[in-house]
Amino acid sequence: MRKKIVAMVLISIMLISVNACSIKSNNRYSASFLELFDTVTTIVGYAENKEQFTEYSQMIYEYLDEYNRLFDIYNEYDGINNMKTINDYAGIEPVKVDPIIIDFLLYSKEMYTLTDGKVNIAFGAVLSEWHDHRTEGLNNPDIATLPDMNTLQNNAKHTDIEQLIINEEASTVFLKDPEMSLDVGAIAKGYAVEKVVQKIKDAGFENGTISVGGNVRSFGMKFDSDGNMVPWSIGIQNPDQASLETTLHLLNFSEDSLVTSGIYERYYTVEGKQYHHIIDPETLMPADYYAAISIVCLDSGLADALSTAIFNIPYEKGIALIESLDGVEALWVFKDEKEKYSSGFLSFVK
Amino acid sequence: MFKKKDIQLAFVILIIAIFALILITLTKEEGATVVITVNGKVSQTFPLNENHTMIIGDESTEYNILEIKDGFVSMTDANCPDKLCVKHNSIHFSHESIVCLPHKVVVEIQGGEESEVDMISN
Repeated sequence: MRKKIVAMVLISIMLISVNACSIKSNNRYSASFLELFDTVTTIVGYAENKEQFTEYSQMIYEYLDEYNRLFDIYNEYDGINNMKTINDYAGIEPVKVDPIIIDFLLYSKEMYTLTDGKVNIAFGAVLSEWHDHRTEGLNNPDIATLPDMNTLQNNAKHTDIEQLIINEEASTVFLKDPEMSLDVGAIAKGYAVEKVVQKIKDAGFENGTISVGGNVRSFGMKFDSDGNMVPWSIGIQNPDQASLETTLHLLNFSEDSLVTSGIYERYYTVEGKQYHHIIDPETLMPADYYAAISIVCLDSGLADALSTAIFNIPYEKGIALIESLDGVEALWVFKDEKEKYSSGFLSFVK
Repeated sequence: MFKKKDIQLAFVILIIAIFALILITLTKEEGATVVITVNGKVSQTFPLNENHTMIIGDESTEYNILEIKDGFVSMTDANCPDKLCVKHNSIHFSHESIVCLPHKVVVEIQGGEESEVDMISN
């Protein structure tokens, strides 16, 4: 009898300890969807069970979907005024919009000031020209063409952010210049991710990482195979995609964002030469300084804006800007694969 | 307090438990699956440890060609405009995926060797 009791106790202890080790690491779930922001959204995180994780994922999807509709410059949606509506009414009349859009546009103006105009959401007239040529060129690679420089220079005259009139009290937005348009691609995803993470944390999702098209935002921690809480492990894409090394560096993350801008992301080929989508406001051509830029900081919106800005300026100017900001680190990857880091970047590297 | 036999029993249980754990871990890695999803619906699954080349979609309209070789999965060709899926690094670890956004194709590895990387910024 006593033997049996001892055996029972031993078995239960073992079952409990096996469970204790794996309970957290086994409660790791992931989800992804392709419908939002014209890119891939991936969520990983820990929850009590699959139902709870599905509930979190559903909430994230719905929040992101709302931002996606409001920030869309290409499509209209029933019953809402979005960026496309604002563009369509340029030079005609102010458009009544959701406070989310007002807050976002004010933030975008801040980013314009911070980056000395290197991130300009009023740059739509130039970017749309590149967008059209890229789309056409991807669909018909044999007859891919570059935008005409005269057209680009003419369109660049209609990119003055001061002509974007925001009336906070009336919650309206007006583009005074009829030829201008907004393109929020350099900030919108990062901004949306940041807002959604704040909301989902309030809803009880404590440990997760969300990526919207490579705009990565972590919160809380992950659990290793022994059930210990350890930092998230976030990789930076190797710009050389033929390499067997998928990542350049692995970073330890808890409450952090990482955004990378690279020449390999969205590009098309004209007469054998690749033209990517990050357009330098000075030259009106794809910025030619680096293969990739990564920014690490708490706020995913800031990281997104800075990754574009730093991509568009020479290293000396870029490092000066990064070092002037608290809690922001950067990695420069040059086209010859050499790398430079801001002063605190390596403290994140595993 | 404990009799010798109790301790022996404890050892036997311990050894069984260790073997069970090893067995679970081993079968988990062998059982890695390549899951192909088209338009949000799982269309096909293949074992990761068997070499195989297949066409996803239809050669006359939209297609992606997927190759499973020596435990690695890559998209070797596709007729999507951007071909980002073809340029994507090959994948091997659990939860890694290759996505072809224009064709709404997701190729994901499930139940395999766990990667050290939780997410990649690109």
